[in-house]
Amino acid sequence: MKTLKQFTDEINKCVLCGTCRGVCPTFDVARREPASARGKVALCDALLKKEINISEGFIKHMTECVQCMACYESCPNDVNVPDIILAARTEIVKENGLPFIKSLTLRNFLDSERLMPAVMKFASNLQGLFFKGVPEESGLHRRFPLPLIDERRLMPPLADTFFLERRALTVEKGRKGEREKGRKILSPIRPFTDSPIRVGFFAGCLINYMLPNIGEASLKLIEKAGASVIVPLDQHCCGMPALGMGDIETAKSLALKNLEAFEQYELDYITTACATCGDGLRRRFKELLGDEYPERVNAFCSKVRDITELLVNELEFEISTSHIPHPTSQLVTYHDPCHLNRGQGIKDAPRELIEISGARFKEMSHPCRCCGLGGSFNITDYDFSMEIARSKAEDIKNTGADIVATACPGCMIQIKDGLHQIGVKAKVLHVVELLV
Amino acid sequence: MLSQNIAKELNNIAGKENITTSREDLICYSYDATNQKFLPDAVVFPKSAEEISLILKLANREAFPVIPRGAGSGFSGGSLPVEGGVVVSLERMNKILKIDTDNLVAIVEPGVVTGDFQEEAENMGLFYPPDPSSLKFCTIGGNIAECAGGPRAVKYGVTKDYVLGLEVVLPTGEIINTGVQTAKGVVGYDLTKLIVGSEGTLGIVTKAVLKLLPLPEATKTMFAVFSDMRDAANTVSKIISSKIIPSTLEFMDKESIGCVAGYLPPDLSGSIEAALLIEVDGDKDLIEKEALLIRGICMENSATDVRIAGNRQEAKALWQARRAISPSMAKLKPNKINEDIVVPRSKIPDAIMGTRDIAKKYNIIIANFGHAGDGNIHVNVMIDKSNSGEFERGKTAVEEIFRLVLSLGGTISGEHGIGTAKMPYIGMELSPAAIDVMRRVKQVLDPKGVLNPGKIFPRHRLV
Repeated sequence: MKTLKQFTDEINKCVLCGTCRGVCPTFDVARREPASARGKVALCDALLKKEINISEGFIKHMTECVQCMACYESCPNDVNVPDIILAARTEIVKENGLPFIKSLTLRNFLDSERLMPAVMKFASNLQGLFFKGVPEESGLHRRFPLPLIDERRLMPPLADTFFLERRALTVEKGRKGEREKGRKILSPIRPFTDSPIRVGFFAGCLINYMLPNIGEASLKLIEKAGASVIVPLDQHCCGMPALGMGDIETAKSLALKNLEAFEQYELDYITTACATCGDGLRRRFKELLGDEYPERVNAFCSKVRDITELLVNELEFEISTSHIPHPTSQLVTYHDPCHLNRGQGIKDAPRELIEISGARFKEMSHPCRCCGLGGSFNITDYDFSMEIARSKAEDIKNTGADIVATACPGCMIQIKDGLHQIGVKAKVLHVVELLV
Repeated sequence: MLSQNIAKELNNIAGKENITTSREDLICYSYDATNQKFLPDAVVFPKSAEEISLILKLANREAFPVIPRGAGSGFSGGSLPVEGGVVVSLERMNKILKIDTDNLVAIVEPGVVTGDFQEEAENMGLFYPPDPSSLKFCTIGGNIAECAGGPRAVKYGVTKDYVLGLEVVLPTGEIINTGVQTAKGVVGYDLTKLIVGSEGTLGIVTKAVLKLLPLPEATKTMFAVFSDMRDAANTVSKIISSKIIPSTLEFMDKESIGCVAGYLPPDLSGSIEAALLIEVDGDKDLIEKEALLIRGICMENSATDVRIAGNRQEAKALWQARRAISPSMAKLKPNKINEDIVVPRSKIPDAIMGTRDIAKKYNIIIANFGHAGDGNIHVNVMIDKSNSGEFERGKTAVEEIFRLVLSLGGTISGEHGIGTAKMPYIGMELSPAAIDVMRRVKQVLDPKGVLNPGKIFPRHRLV
């Protein structure tokens, strides 16, 4: 990863024209220059020239970015502002360390093999104590004040059985775990079928802990498309939350663990149904590990495909509506996740899957505008984040759609919350859920 | 530095959360699209004409500069706090107050983004034509201050042609209304036109009454390329003299095209020395006919390729290319001296060939593009400021370009304004007597010189 200083030339490419003000979602809400991409570049420039220090104000402004990359996409001089901001966040962590709560989460939690699943499990069992269900919504509101949880927030419940847990159970029922070189290899859900195409599935935290059905649906579709699929059980968080907060060390450690988890199998593709994880696996892993393990990481990254892209472009998935168990005749609209559209350049594949599903489709206005989640931004700046979500929710409302499909569990959670807060009842689904 | 007392009074006027003096915020309000930086002492985000009035009264009492600012996307330094002081950011005053479909007028606050307003109007079948390339982020207030133009000016005119009336806070703090909300009005002097294009030196616009047109039924976008710059320039004159007025007639030379090649159709034939982006709008059948006529004129003038956009997507890509030219020029050289000269339309070939000769004479890159249809060319003298020889040659070249333009019967700025960027050259175009009249107008309205000092007139200082 490049340091902020190594971004000097990139910063100098900015001519301060202001084009990014027209697309920046945080600026759109705050309507103040420091919230815009241009303002942040000017501040990073000032920091490098030692006109300012890493002050409270600087930290606040660098936090106020959802990493949606709309500025980079619109910039006439191709200034990579999102990465400049990430480098600034890393600089902040280097100088000040991580704030206590964040460091606790990142270093001890996400990066732990046992602690995270154990704590999540504990939370899953006890969530009824802290949260109450919201009638007609598959979500929860908190029952009493809890740190980091806003009272208006609609939270998806934790799954009773996590996705990876289900897979482990399947394994135990099926065959014994294999042992190789003295190390236990957790087996795939079932042995590879005869299909010559072998796909590894990366779940990611949100699918694992909250939305396992998306994982299940993905596996089914991959097999229906004629490939065999395995889920390495020793996979970890993709590390993008850590990277987003400037904690490169944790991100690196997680990337390496994931690399190892998937390298054990001979795979043609590695796929995920989370846009953010996918962007991380195929792009950021290279930046994180490219210097140390260039060949291994290239081999890994070149195999990564988003689930929609894998199904449509690689496996040429086709299905007649009559073979879909629960085909929908409802009106569907689609939200482009930033990390899929701008991060991985995928816009058409999810729309093709919607078409295959036989649903009626209506494009919303600004489908590529960020939902406002921005990783931890949603926790540190909940109101700000929900202001951005409101524009998205309004755009959805205006289509009159019954279902909002998207391809990122993070966007799903945010959009659900956004719709709930303006009283819109549309269902939020992952594209793959339309096909099973 | 502002005194504690002034800061306190500003707090009282706009509310503590709407004033900032933090260094980080000041840095973010120190620049505009000229890429220069001057640190203000404070930034205030008022919500009403009344608050702005109180700020200006305070400024007169305590003698500090006040600098109005929209999006900070200007090309002449109009919103730069060159003498420090208080930046009045109009970002919070961003409401479209009314779109009156019966009378084809709209009332908007100054911080409304031009493109957002156009979109709203179009949703109601109406049309606000002024379209500066920055329309997706610049504001109506800034457009009024600089009298912004844009590609459509060739057919529809510029900002001043659409401003019927204004609410303005004068430099001394009085709030006045100028003009009318009707199609006509001649009561008293035309103060509306005086304020439009006054570059934020005569008042701060807090509301604007804008004229709207019915939205044209359809548009047709074309792209013509030429292997000789002279042919392209001649084509512009020929289209105009054949009595077709396209809604856009944009010229771009080889250097400009090179900066945005990625946006253009990859299979254009011939060696491209110049290109024209042409659009016609209006009745569906009529524009089909006009498009064919224009294609004919292009071919007669040796165009090597003429493409007519088949759908909105293709048209949009062509426009993206056009709008990206100006900021992309940093790819040629780190700094640009960005001019926006205008010549009578028949003189376009002379102006373009003339700047080309000047570029050769001073061994410098000059990239030309712009609204050739109305004679407005963006002449960009590309330099590296750190190379002092090149910087000096660039400045001399600019003076020579201005002499050429004036000798052709043109003007040195069509739509960017003088600001700080063209201040040294104002005397080349205006006589001492004319400048004196302007200074006297400024003196009457702003006796203490508090509003946007250091702009337009050389050696202007706070009294």
